Amino acid sequence: MSGWKCFSIDGPALMARPDTIRGWGFVAPALIWTLAFFVVPFGVMAAMSLATLDGRELVWGFSLENYTRLFGQSYLLRAITVSLEITLTVTIVSIVLAYPLAWIIAYRVPARWQRLALLLAILPFWTSYVVRSYAWLLVLSREGVINQTLLGLGVISEPLTLASTRFATVTGFVHFFVMLLTLTIYANLVQLPANYRRAAIDLGASSWQAFRHVVLPLTMPGIATGAFLTFVLCIGDYITPQILGGNNELTGPQIIMVQLGRGANFPLAAAMSIVLMALVTLAYLAASRWLRLDRL
Amino acid sequence: MTYRPLRRALLSSTMLALPAAAMAAEDLNALVWCDHTDPALIEPFEQEHGIRVNLREYEGTATALALLEQSRPGDWDVLVIDAIDVPRAVDAGLMAELPADQLATTDFFPGVAMEAQTQVDGKTYAVTEKFGYNTVSFNSDKVDAADMQDLSTIWSEKYKDRIAVYDYYLPVMGLAAIANDIDTGNITANDLPTLKETLFTMKDNARSVGEVVASQTALATGEVDIVIGGGEWLTAVLAEEQPELTWTIPDQGAVRWAQSIGVLETSENKDLAVEFVKYITGPEGQARLATSSCYWGMPANQKAGAHLSDAQKKVLRWDDQPEYLKRAQLYPAPDADLDGQMQDVWLEMLQH
Amino acid sequence: MRRAIPWIYMALAYAFIFLPVVTLVLFSFQDGRLPVPPFNGPTLKWYADVLGDTRLMSALGNSLLVGAGSAALSCALGFLAAYGLARHVLPGALLLRGLLIAPMTVSYLIIGLGLLIVFNNYGPGPSLWAAGVGHVVINLPLAFAIIYASMGAQQENAERAARDLGASEGRVLTLVTIPMLAPAILAAFFLCLTLSWDEFIIAFLMTRFDVTLPVEIWSLLRSGLSPRTNAIGSLVFLVSVALVIGLEIFIFGRKRR
Repeated sequence: MSGWKCFSIDGPALMARPDTIRGWGFVAPALIWTLAFFVVPFGVMAAMSLATLDGRELVWGFSLENYTRLFGQSYLLRAITVSLEITLTVTIVSIVLAYPLAWIIAYRVPARWQRLALLLAILPFWTSYVVRSYAWLLVLSREGVINQTLLGLGVISEPLTLASTRFATVTGFVHFFVMLLTLTIYANLVQLPANYRRAAIDLGASSWQAFRHVVLPLTMPGIATGAFLTFVLCIGDYITPQILGGNNELTGPQIIMVQLGRGANFPLAAAMSIVLMALVTLAYLAASRWLRLDRL
Repeated sequence: MTYRPLRRALLSSTMLALPAAAMAAEDLNALVWCDHTDPALIEPFEQEHGIRVNLREYEGTATALALLEQSRPGDWDVLVIDAIDVPRAVDAGLMAELPADQLATTDFFPGVAMEAQTQVDGKTYAVTEKFGYNTVSFNSDKVDAADMQDLSTIWSEKYKDRIAVYDYYLPVMGLAAIANDIDTGNITANDLPTLKETLFTMKDNARSVGEVVASQTALATGEVDIVIGGGEWLTAVLAEEQPELTWTIPDQGAVRWAQSIGVLETSENKDLAVEFVKYITGPEGQARLATSSCYWGMPANQKAGAHLSDAQKKVLRWDDQPEYLKRAQLYPAPDADLDGQMQDVWLEMLQH
Repeated sequence: MRRAIPWIYMALAYAFIFLPVVTLVLFSFQDGRLPVPPFNGPTLKWYADVLGDTRLMSALGNSLLVGAGSAALSCALGFLAAYGLARHVLPGALLLRGLLIAPMTVSYLIIGLGLLIVFNNYGPGPSLWAAGVGHVVINLPLAFAIIYASMGAQQENAERAARDLGASEGRVLTLVTIPMLAPAILAAFFLCLTLSWDEFIIAFLMTRFDVTLPVEIWSLLRSGLSPRTNAIGSLVFLVSVALVIGLEIFIFGRKRR
């Protein structure tokens, strides 16, 4: 969304009251920072996506070559669809798993334990992000915790293939985002006055109907905010698929990092970034009705 | 008070330029591979000369060249680079001539100095420092060692889902070329369809394609039993605890990797940089580099042998080198165009 | 039975959430080279190893420096912007807010790539400072949003009262607004600190010789499977958790009473 918004800022109203001028003074540092280190780099990157490489020489221009490559070469297009598939799966699975947890913490756990329950639910947030995927590798590998436990219990006779698969990537992601969504949905649930639901039930609604028609719509902001953050963070993530996916398929960010690391192909990497950015914009539009990003 | 944060912000943005300027002339800046980051290798040099060696790792030659071209003169002093890519760096005007008479190349294993690559017009621009093989690593308890002598059996149906492929396109495509009777030095764009087919076969039967640690993990934990593209650099670190993890060179041959070190033309610290090169290629530095924590590999300098234990030499297959050197071919050395195409084929294989 | 379902679900969810953490910590005590079952019995050697590793420790110091610096700057800029927008009538305030929040909706990788291109071509090149700049870009929206959301009518009344009593704008800010908003500012500071402390991709792209901890851990990971990684991962976890719990008790705990 940000892309074009930045180009349409109202010019400072120079004729304004002293109060307004002072207001601008307060906003200016943050504004200048955002313009200099976010908007300008973004613009340069967009321009870079229209440049080409001649050998190792960068040629600026207005070429759509990188984009035709992205959508023309099957392995590059596949990276975009892989990213999208993984991100959508992760977002949906995370919501489905996190909602009941947030619900239980908000409505079943006694009030005095709620903060502790919530803190516990998000504690692994603070494991190092790089290490977290690595830890999942230790859990999912052939000799890992899950396989060894199941083998020991006699549930399976052969180790399951868990690591180096899309399942592993999705699991690693879902782990992180269940925590995030539990937090945003819980925050939303506890703001609802309890008597809304009670009123609906008193008026003859079943508890499912009360949930479906009263609670769920009221928690949409929490769901949408968490889901959108999930989408943004997931579609741009490099580490998780890199460690857990076993390179059996590549996501957009992995393509970007390969282009930077091996080929020094900045234009193609920039074009891929713009495409991922466009997907995020679509997600933003889909969720914008309920989003409360500036009221986190 | 109110505006102090603003002033601080402005201050810190101007100070962005500082670290570069503050880098004392006595620092040595080196663009290297991960084996050079081992303190056991670097610290003795730092202490001897009372300076600091700043290290930055990189992955592909193209990236290193791009990085060097974008840097300002004086930013970098030393470069570790694939021996076969030295001519590319020399062409780009990046490398400084080395004083050949001060280098220990006469002590090197025969053929390892790679004059064809490290010298241009009779001038020496880099020195080979370490070499080894991209071949096949395997678990001798789980697979038939005899099968490992034939490349096409290694990635056949027989070992479906028990294979990991090392995620670097040059050596593995080199192995594919060897399997197809193509000289690794003569790969052309016309060979790519053939190579692609072989890579697709590998991928069909492979469990995963991974970088060093991923392949190592997969092999060590029994996730897979074979790593295509592996070699001493992959299994030597594990040798002590898991002696069943070993490697061999198949009958068709394997790919030999070699890394070299040189001084950058724009270095403002050339004397110290040359000292560093001499340290790394001298007997003691060579022994430390060979057994560096990131990965092991054969030292180019035979005199390193005096500083290595028998156990270390055994893991490195010190005595087998003459035989191995005969059977191995060099890394492919594509030009920029072919390099791009080879990377495309590789990514296609990953998405296959 | 039906009453038990929520508790069973909760237990399963917690098991899922803690599975990797427990595995990580358990095998940091592994007496052997590989951090996978079977567990060979406890040793502290990997911790000694990690604590004695100068590169890791200097990376840890760098991370704290970049984290604290960028969090402080983010909060300062965020606070000023929030004050400007909440207390003054500005044309296009909605757009301004949107612009300040915008980096939150962009993947870190993309922000990092843009900065890398600009810094490489026009700037001073990569360094810890550059990583810090990137971290302010990603943390500023958060700091702004948190502080802006907590600027209510209550403070406004107190500010007006102070102004009526003759306080200058600077004194109002330092003596009334900032103290009243201290919990929000601190919360924002610590959130930014933890995010920056743990951020990988921007730090990876923007640093050169001196790197932050996640980048150092990444190269540790790339150089071999070892309980050392578990040990440093567990240490980071324990430090962060201690920080969070301390914060919970000392700042938010006090507020509730």
